[in-house]
Amino acid sequence: MADHHAVASAPHGGGGGHATVRTYINVAIALAIITAVEVATLYIPGIPSTVLVLSLLAMSAIKFFLVVGFFMHLKYDHPVMRALFVGPLIIAIAIILAVMALFSAFVLLPRVVL
Amino acid sequence: MVDHASAVAHAHDPNIGTTGLDNRKVGMWAFLGSDCMFFGSLIGTYLAYKGKSISGPLPHQVFDIPLTSYSAALLLASSLTMVLALAALQESRVKKAAGWLFVTAMLGLHFVLNQVYEFTTFALHHGLKLSTSLFGSTFFVLTGFHGAHVTGGVIWLLILVMLALRGKIDARDYTKVEIAGLYWHFVDIVWIAIFTVIYLIP
Repeated sequence: MADHHAVASAPHGGGGGHATVRTYINVAIALAIITAVEVATLYIPGIPSTVLVLSLLAMSAIKFFLVVGFFMHLKYDHPVMRALFVGPLIIAIAIILAVMALFSAFVLLPRVVL
Repeated sequence: MVDHASAVAHAHDPNIGTTGLDNRKVGMWAFLGSDCMFFGSLIGTYLAYKGKSISGPLPHQVFDIPLTSYSAALLLASSLTMVLALAALQESRVKKAAGWLFVTAMLGLHFVLNQVYEFTTFALHHGLKLSTSLFGSTFFVLTGFHGAHVTGGVIWLLILVMLALRGKIDARDYTKVEIAGLYWHFVDIVWIAIFTVIYLIP
């Protein structure tokens, strides 16, 4: 059962969750700091666009996996739950890349100017 | 770990399937997986048409980054209050859990109101509507569907608050609240992606 520090487990999830309230608060602080850095990055002059885009995507990915891993307990959950989410997530990313490729719209790749 | 006592209890729980997993939770994860592909299609379409509008206004002319950053902070904060509600419920502190759920719902409602303000400003001050341009249609459809998800989540949370205050939810109903939490965190992670890809990347 839960201890006094609110061990947040999933009773029927099949996994043994061990995120404490302290962990949740630490994750929230990390999310706030990363978001602040993301926004601040926009206002720093002279950053090459490729570096800017890659750094923004990296920070976004870190935030994404912090929420999924700790707040959604997927880090501690049953592998079946992980597969149910990560599989379609990979397909979703493939859809984004495929649609962009169809329309020659890759933002990260330099455009060929004839 | 699942001990013998809880295994016996699970054997009598109609929500536990033959895999030993809660069917409701499996169903929610499957739904969230499918919703990933839904939003992936919308984000892909937005990016495919990015910069291809033949008429304005353009994104950098209408976006209000400070307002959107504030909205992003609201959703991130609501994810924290959601897990605090779960933790309180697990400690059988139902009133405290109801309080955190209510705060979560109010943060979500604030986000939705910000989005209504943003959409109204775009339409009335910048002349950007659903049918104005490729940017308008892809932007409003993507962020509008996300806003609809948030609105649905707010209603769900408020129903849980009412059930908790009427004594119809206790620590044994942890999974019910956890499933609502999964949905709520999902709208948060979708916004994390939208915020970066749509608003921040120039």
